[in-house]
Amino acid sequence: MNLLLKNISLPLANFTLEVNVEMQKRVTAVFGPSGAGKTSLLDLIAGLRRAQSAFIQLDENVLADTAKNYFVPTRRRGIGYVPQDLALFPHLSVRQNLLYGRNSRVATGPLFSFEHVVEVLEIQPLISRGVTELSGGEKQRVALARALLSSPRLLLLDEPLASLDAPLKEKIIPYLARVRDEFQIPMLCVTHDRFEALALADEIVVLVGGQVLQTGPVLDVFNRPASAEVAKFVGVETLHPGQIESVNEGLATVSVNRTTLTALAPPTASRDVFVCIRGEDVILQHAAAVASSVRNRLSARIVALRTEGALVRVELDAGFPLFALITRPACVELALREGGQVTALIKTPAIHLVPR
Amino acid sequence: MRKVLACALLLFAVIGIQAAEITVFAAASLTDSLKEIAASYEKQSGDKITFNLGASSTLARQIEAGAPADIFFSADEAQMDSLAKKGLIDPATRKSRLGNTLVVVVAADSTLQINSAADLTNAAVKQIALADPKAVPAGVYAKAWLTQQQLWPAIEPKVVPTENVRAALAAVESGNVEAGVVYKTDAGISRKVKVAYEVPAKDAPDISYPMALVKESKQPDAAKNFLNYLDSKEAGDIFKKFGFVLRD
Amino acid sequence: MTSDEWQIVWFTAWVSALSTLVILPFGLALAWALARRDWPGKSIVETFVSLPLVMPPVATGLILLKLFGRRGGIGGFLHDKFNLDVIFTWRAVLLALSVMSLPLLVRAARVAFEEVNPRLEQIARTLGAGDWRVFFTITVPLAARGIVGGMLLAFARALGEFGATIMVAGSIPGKTQTISLAIFQNVQLGDDTHAYRLLGVSVVLAFAAVWCSELFLRRRKK
Repeated sequence: MNLLLKNISLPLANFTLEVNVEMQKRVTAVFGPSGAGKTSLLDLIAGLRRAQSAFIQLDENVLADTAKNYFVPTRRRGIGYVPQDLALFPHLSVRQNLLYGRNSRVATGPLFSFEHVVEVLEIQPLISRGVTELSGGEKQRVALARALLSSPRLLLLDEPLASLDAPLKEKIIPYLARVRDEFQIPMLCVTHDRFEALALADEIVVLVGGQVLQTGPVLDVFNRPASAEVAKFVGVETLHPGQIESVNEGLATVSVNRTTLTALAPPTASRDVFVCIRGEDVILQHAAAVASSVRNRLSARIVALRTEGALVRVELDAGFPLFALITRPACVELALREGGQVTALIKTPAIHLVPR
Repeated sequence: MRKVLACALLLFAVIGIQAAEITVFAAASLTDSLKEIAASYEKQSGDKITFNLGASSTLARQIEAGAPADIFFSADEAQMDSLAKKGLIDPATRKSRLGNTLVVVVAADSTLQINSAADLTNAAVKQIALADPKAVPAGVYAKAWLTQQQLWPAIEPKVVPTENVRAALAAVESGNVEAGVVYKTDAGISRKVKVAYEVPAKDAPDISYPMALVKESKQPDAAKNFLNYLDSKEAGDIFKKFGFVLRD
Repeated sequence: MTSDEWQIVWFTAWVSALSTLVILPFGLALAWALARRDWPGKSIVETFVSLPLVMPPVATGLILLKLFGRRGGIGGFLHDKFNLDVIFTWRAVLLALSVMSLPLLVRAARVAFEEVNPRLEQIARTLGAGDWRVFFTITVPLAARGIVGGMLLAFARALGEFGATIMVAGSIPGKTQTISLAIFQNVQLGDDTHAYRLLGVSVVLAFAAVWCSELFLRRRKK
């Protein structure tokens, strides 16, 4: 898909949302802290809000152009929306909710069959129930199915996993992935959770305080944040693809390039994962073979040192790029310098595996 | 001599300070004439007259319920009788001096021709305003007239009953009804209606306006004075000026 | 109860019911506009809608009398073009009841509309629904409780209307006499027995209507 947002200007409570960005990948994540204007951006794209100035074009259709006073009303945009509070119609049954968008004469996107959508999202047993009887995860899937059944050409998702607890998140992500793969619909997800972004998106737009700070492929933005501000929100220090070689008694052996790590096995069965390690969880030491509980002891060469306030960000080569955050006194005490060798210690629970 | 003068002055002052205030419950049709009579009486006597004007039936109900009235001036004998039966008026002071004439009025700019009672049954006359014929004297009289003419069943469906005779007059003035039956004295004070037909005395019922002292009056002497004034030639002339008929 | 009295009760009931139905389309439209839209002069409209609630009913009746009389702006037009008279007919009763009970419906319906989550209406639009479809399939069903409560309140108000009615319709027995007008006339005639019977009916009807209204308007305790 090609979603062009040009000259967007929308005054909000504490700042003005100003966006100039082109999203070209199939799944884009709009990533940023709460209150950054992400939901307002979705509302603009869906036509639920009007901006002071905006040019919005989806593929070859112009949706809004304030310069020419042109505005396509929401109902004709063919854009599915799953809001954060899901907004299921409480007075209608699940079936009636699902079929609500079916009758609109604006079938702009591909038509999915009712049975297919219900099967992919596994909501068959819920069809004749009332909406208020559903659990959080069930409501999420119904809301998703409802949007899909309206034949949208773009799907907007506002924090799809935010209101779910961790086990539920793990369960829903595969559904979202399935939607992405089975239905091939372009998706725009708003999230403040980096793992959500990692799991679903091809490209990411970092939105902070109403401004776009960085865009690009997910891995690039997370590994090479353009500024300290972006790094602060992106948060993860080490992010690298890896493969689970084996799983034994709840522990997974993961190979990252040619290095092997021991991590907690994720509940999903997928072999391809992203390995995420926070800089704070990496311990650096000089001595090597001392009996300790740490399972991951990696020999690494210091590539770069960067001071960030009271801390120092150390970029290492441990067979893959590894980042550590240590204090400045510690850096001085260990006499770290570029090109030197250290041992990096990472506890098994500190390695986070995100299925790809 | 000085003592007598002093006493006389004192008496005069006392009388002057104790000017009475009398409340007269009177039929609506007496509004304008009574106001003029009262004005001249107040100048002479120093007493103050206040009026409660409305349908005689309504006023009688109020007196029965204990409303503070000194004099009751009704538009028919029936309402006065009902109070007399309950012992609420002083029968010795009861006097019926005034009569009136019934007329059919139409709006001043109306083209309707009413030359007899039967003309009221024409289709052109869709609605006729009367004071409520169930109890208000003007309506009771009108119904008696039309019943005697054997036209009441034909006319009753067209009747718009109003609260008192002045309200019937107002309805005709507004143009919302084609015609109304009111007293000649009412038609006289309004420039927005004209008399289309005057009910001849032989067809009309006997219209009589009795007045009396209310027994519960707190100012019986002052009230009796005003009653005497109402019976005087001066008052009579004013009544005649407004179109009332003097029965004595 | 005599057959005349039943006629009065029946007349009052059906004219009140009809007035509630008559004000429904305009009342809902007005309530929706006040709940969902903003425009310069909105507060003036709000005030006008509330006026019949606080003005003396006879004053409102007087305004209606002047407007709808044969010499009035609207009444004159109706009389000349359609030979239709309003004053002193059952149509005047309908008019008075409608005007006096409209503010109650609008207030209750407005609150009901405001309580409908606007997000639901927005999502319905993303699913392709036009404004009318959103209104009838989402907004109204979700506001139904409040709307029905408002209708019952308006009905109860119409049942008891007096001041404006007597101004524009008079108290013509068999044609425009409602329960309250009949009670008034009976008291004036000294016919207390009739008055008390009608009073009893009036209390029963009003009690039932308001009680049902409260059932709908009371917030559901979660």
